[in-house]
Amino acid sequence: MRSPVIEPEKPQTSALDVGVFTPDISAKTSIPEVGQEQVGRSNHWEVRSEEQAYAYLPETPSEVENRYGKRIDLVELTDNPVGRSLFINGNPEVGSNPDRNKQHGFFFTADNCIGCHACESACSEKNDNPAHLAFRSVGYVEGGSYPDYKRMNISMACNHCDDPVCLKGCPTRAYTKHAEYGAVLQDPDTCFGCGYCTWVCPYNAPQLDPVKGQVSKCNMCVDRLEVGLKPACVSACVGNALDFGVIENTPENRQQCKTSIPGFPSPEITQPNIRFQQTKSLPEEMTRTDDMPVKYHKDENGEYLPVVDQKVGKQRHWNLSKLNSRENPLVLFTLLAQGALGTFMIPFIGALAGIEMFTQFTESNFFLPLVILSIGMTSLGLFMSVTHLGKPFRFYRGFNNLRYSPMSREGLGLALFSAFMGLTALFLVPSNEWVMSILQGAGVDSLMLNTHFPWASVVEVSGVLASVSGATGLYYMNQCYQIKARPFWHHWQTASSFVGNSLSIGAMVSGVLVLIFFNAESLPNQVALEILGAIFLLGLVLEALGLKAHNHTLNRSENEGGAAHYVQCTTFGKTYLLRNALLGFNILAASGLLIYANVFTVNEPLYLAAWIGISLMNIVTALIGRALFYNLVIPTTMPGAFFWKNKGFEQHARDVGLADNPACGVAPLSH
Amino acid sequence: MLFGRKNRKPIAIPSKKVKEWKYTTCNYCSTGCSIEIGLDEQQKIVTTRGHAGADVNRGKLCIKGILEHELFESPGRGTEPLIRDKHFDSFKPTSWDHALDTTAAQIKQIQQTYGRDAFAIVSSGQLLTEEFYTLGKLARGVIGTNNYDGNTTLCMASAVSGYKRSFGADGPPGCYDDFEHTHCLMAFGSNLPEQHPIIYWRLKEALEKRHFPLIVVDPRVTMLAQFADIHLPITPGTDCVLINAMMYVIINEGLQDQAYIDAHTQGFNEVKALVQDYNPKSAQHICGIDEDTIRNVARIYAKAPTAMSIWTMGINQSTHGSDGVANINNLNMVTGNIGKPGGTSLSITGQCNAMGTREWSSCSGLPGYRYLENEQDRNEIADFWGIDPEFLPKKRGLSQTDIFPAIETGEIKGLWIVATNPMTSMPNTARIRKALEKLDFLVIQDVYQDVETNQYSHVYFPASVWAEKEGVHTNTERRVNLISNVLPPYKNSKPDFWIFNQMAKRFDQGQTVHFPESPEEAFEEMKYLSKGKMANGEPRNLDISGMTYDKILAAKGIQWPYREEDVGLKGQARLYSDGVFPTANGKANLLPIHFYNNNEQPCAEYPFWLNSGRVVEHFHTRTRTGKIGNCNKFSPTAYMEMNPDAAMALGVKHQSYVRLTSRRGDAVVLVQLTQRVPRNMVFIPFHFHDCVNRLTLGLLDPYSRQPAFKQCSTRIEPIDQAEAARINAERRTF
Repeated sequence: MRSPVIEPEKPQTSALDVGVFTPDISAKTSIPEVGQEQVGRSNHWEVRSEEQAYAYLPETPSEVENRYGKRIDLVELTDNPVGRSLFINGNPEVGSNPDRNKQHGFFFTADNCIGCHACESACSEKNDNPAHLAFRSVGYVEGGSYPDYKRMNISMACNHCDDPVCLKGCPTRAYTKHAEYGAVLQDPDTCFGCGYCTWVCPYNAPQLDPVKGQVSKCNMCVDRLEVGLKPACVSACVGNALDFGVIENTPENRQQCKTSIPGFPSPEITQPNIRFQQTKSLPEEMTRTDDMPVKYHKDENGEYLPVVDQKVGKQRHWNLSKLNSRENPLVLFTLLAQGALGTFMIPFIGALAGIEMFTQFTESNFFLPLVILSIGMTSLGLFMSVTHLGKPFRFYRGFNNLRYSPMSREGLGLALFSAFMGLTALFLVPSNEWVMSILQGAGVDSLMLNTHFPWASVVEVSGVLASVSGATGLYYMNQCYQIKARPFWHHWQTASSFVGNSLSIGAMVSGVLVLIFFNAESLPNQVALEILGAIFLLGLVLEALGLKAHNHTLNRSENEGGAAHYVQCTTFGKTYLLRNALLGFNILAASGLLIYANVFTVNEPLYLAAWIGISLMNIVTALIGRALFYNLVIPTTMPGAFFWKNKGFEQHARDVGLADNPACGVAPLSH
Repeated sequence: MLFGRKNRKPIAIPSKKVKEWKYTTCNYCSTGCSIEIGLDEQQKIVTTRGHAGADVNRGKLCIKGILEHELFESPGRGTEPLIRDKHFDSFKPTSWDHALDTTAAQIKQIQQTYGRDAFAIVSSGQLLTEEFYTLGKLARGVIGTNNYDGNTTLCMASAVSGYKRSFGADGPPGCYDDFEHTHCLMAFGSNLPEQHPIIYWRLKEALEKRHFPLIVVDPRVTMLAQFADIHLPITPGTDCVLINAMMYVIINEGLQDQAYIDAHTQGFNEVKALVQDYNPKSAQHICGIDEDTIRNVARIYAKAPTAMSIWTMGINQSTHGSDGVANINNLNMVTGNIGKPGGTSLSITGQCNAMGTREWSSCSGLPGYRYLENEQDRNEIADFWGIDPEFLPKKRGLSQTDIFPAIETGEIKGLWIVATNPMTSMPNTARIRKALEKLDFLVIQDVYQDVETNQYSHVYFPASVWAEKEGVHTNTERRVNLISNVLPPYKNSKPDFWIFNQMAKRFDQGQTVHFPESPEEAFEEMKYLSKGKMANGEPRNLDISGMTYDKILAAKGIQWPYREEDVGLKGQARLYSDGVFPTANGKANLLPIHFYNNNEQPCAEYPFWLNSGRVVEHFHTRTRTGKIGNCNKFSPTAYMEMNPDAAMALGVKHQSYVRLTSRRGDAVVLVQLTQRVPRNMVFIPFHFHDCVNRLTLGLLDPYSRQPAFKQCSTRIEPIDQAEAARINAERRTF
């Protein structure tokens, strides 16, 4: 039995009743008096009148190093003075936050997130983001069986990593990691919209806007941080799930400070500045509601690791039309560039190595057209890669980050390859009878060129330089795809495919000219066919070996690579089989032709026709293969929701016209 | 800068350049959050923020509030009055005068031909209180129809009815501060994180400071259910059985607060006798909660020093809605938990100003919780308005849910719908369509001319929205808060207050009854009417006489009662703390609640329970949130939660379309497979037009006339995916 009416200490006068809130002054953070909110703070942000404790950054001591051994106070790692302005929107004032040179990060209490979208909308409101973009997104994983069902929502933005792969990958140097707060900020006005940062980031933080053709991302609300306020998303959180502060500091009322939760990619990739609390038990298997064929399974240490989720069954489909995608320019770019490389290098290196047929060829009038053809292929390839950019006219910015970006180096390698081939072509002119006769016919006095200048040596030097640049370009082209966040690509098969295509396409294209030369000179082309055929076959075999190993690895892989392979074997199952069958057939046919020619005398036109047939088939094989390469890759992104950040729904909305309404949040694709 | 960078890249962050912040209260749900709208130098709205000093939200806002300032110029807003002869003709723009004259003439014509009650008015919970008061005066005192009701019948009518039956008057006795004091909270059919995120945050703050048991009754594993200490996945519609069984345990184990019962209630013996039929041993088979859990929960609740119950539509929207509320009140009365800090029966209200319409709109009675059935109340109001008391009906007329059937039968010929969208919100859309088609005259007054009900109107009045107007709201905890006029009305739209005043001028009686020119003057009339004593001689609880706009603004909301003589800026946090209730003898009524099962239930033909509810990013029928991309994108199209095991048996795939059928009609939805729902239930958000309410039955509660949206049955049919996608896209044109 308890007191029947009211508690005795409760006063009767309504004026003293508890209907009005009085701030909790026992909290660690000292809260300014009403009207004094802005006193002692810089002018970067207007603090709300009567601002609450939850919005202020706590003034707590911090660690010296983070758990990866990196300094938390960053200013010593730079030669910047401590009191240096961030010049946010050109504002020269220095922020008043005493911890402004320390690495900050988000703290997410996954136990508490209710998936209410307040953080996302506060972020979008502050940053004026249209519906199809978001610097912060909430997805979820779920598991269990009714009524023992658990959903865990995950709110994720940029983690301002110690090792910002976006910064390193960006060819334009649009990214900066500031000593202030350790914020990784990106400048959309520098960005040319290649989207490479969106490939390398494991958390889907950089947002490529297909409408504007540029990337933008979470700016950590550094304007709010400068005055000592937490970011807008944190301040808006109504589940008490999101928090923010100096990294490694466990917020008040929290017991755990760990680096991962189910659905979060391995923190080893980038050492992200986010910490978690997740203490509630979850079912051993957590699934995603979006269309990614990935779920998460608890291992013996209680960690959740990705496993393939066979969401679309095991049936094989063609889906050929889906191979036609916005990545088409990249399919063409890589194949053309690789083909150009082989086209030039096979005869050139062959001649250097003293193979007679190649020596004959490179000394002939036919070498110049081959170099020009190769330049054409490279240029067309580079042009395709530029059309893939959101802002193609900014293409020249692609070489700005040679220090870190494989993409910059790839670009430079290919550009130099083109340039040195150009020189080579120029140096080939004096020894090319056709050009000289045209020049003479045009009345140009070409006697000057016909001196005893050692043109052949100059050609050799520039050709070697072109080959070295091209090979470097190819090496970095491969490096571009060795991305930890994209395990489907992160395999030596990428390299074997790139080299294999260089050989097979190169042998094919150069072979055309070589054979024309042999026929024009009435030389027997049997040997040429055999050598080129062998190179061609070598390319195919390399590709096949890579694919075999790739398949072997992915079949045993439970991560996103395995998931991509699952899509390859189902959604594109028949297409994948077709490509493999074509490749196998080509290898058998090429080997057969080579053996046959060695054993029997061949009918030359028929034999040639057979090679042409295989070559054409190889083009189809290569196109399908490369399209699969781009379309299948599944990144280690965060789990999405049923509509938002669900690629399956985005595709559906575009297909059925729901995306025509901008309020649907799915941008139509511009490419 | 790190990584060897020397050259600085510019840091550009959008800066809103706010020149002035204007105070207002959120116009979505009834949490009652204070918002500041930021205007730049050109007086253009550039941003919004929660008011950090407001007690309700303490600076926080939910997704809808954060983006609310984007609604002023959204597509589909009404710009000019529209008129047409027949609903199948095209609209023509017209002048306000012509639209108002035509409407007035049509109302008079219908009333002269068929009687005063043949013209009905259905309003809303979305207007400002002064507008409700003015509309009430117009409807009751000038036009004189007794068929006048609000869409609150769809949401809070059961709470109103239950409060009236238990305590003698409407008005939630508790407040949000009760979370800080309670020792046990039981939530019945209330999913705060989705429906009332800021109230959830207040609860979460309290729980993080001092944990207390959270018990959630919900057939779905909502986020709140998942976070509960004890989740009771109840069989739909059987809450009364659960509560009776809990009271069986409490009373038979002597855990009740007998002193409180004896001093402040009547009817205990009847309840005690009734609950003997609800032994948990048998009750468990009806409500689906095992007897051990029932006993456990009953003991936790009864033994807690203070315990409180909250509920929302899980209780209200059922055929036992009013009974459910009365039974929750019973539970709290037998455990002595009314009017105590942390001990209360707190309905969590739906619409921003559902409370305002309950208090002042005269929908179910007369202003200030007065009853039409009470002669003294009729005389007071007639005297104040200057009309003949005999002009007022002596009994309440039809509720919203009875008005539409009365159109079917021809009793009602004309209808004025204000700020509500029955074509989407009422159960059994097919029936509503048919009724609207039959009307001789339909006038729609709404912010949006693309509101679906407008398809059947003859005249359309474009109304101003939210902060284009001025006035007050009352929230869930009886807090009156101010909406300042931030912007002028959009194009040629007009504030609802102005529209009502203009309409009044077109009636003879409107010339004699005083209609104040400004909302603040109307507020003064309400203040005057809130003074005095109730029928039982006790001071009126709904007393706002101490309030002024300035005081409300300074306090950022004041709870009633707040009387003239009160000092300071704080109203009374709780009702009935003194144990005196607004009944004839001052005692609250313990009411024996018999359970009967009249719900349409899953059967061989229609094997699934059909459940419906809210999602956080949308409000009501999406007329507002459907056009704000950063809200709408989180559910841009209709969907259905379905259990994967049930789907497997039927061959239904995740993210495919299905067609649902019921005994009323069909709907096409995208399937989201999740173990959140049981095998025999599907859940569909109610916000989407031509969706769940094509299926719902909506049996009416006998007391509140509220429809049971959440209890009916459905079947799942396959549908061609391309065809379904086309249908779905057509139905989601905004």
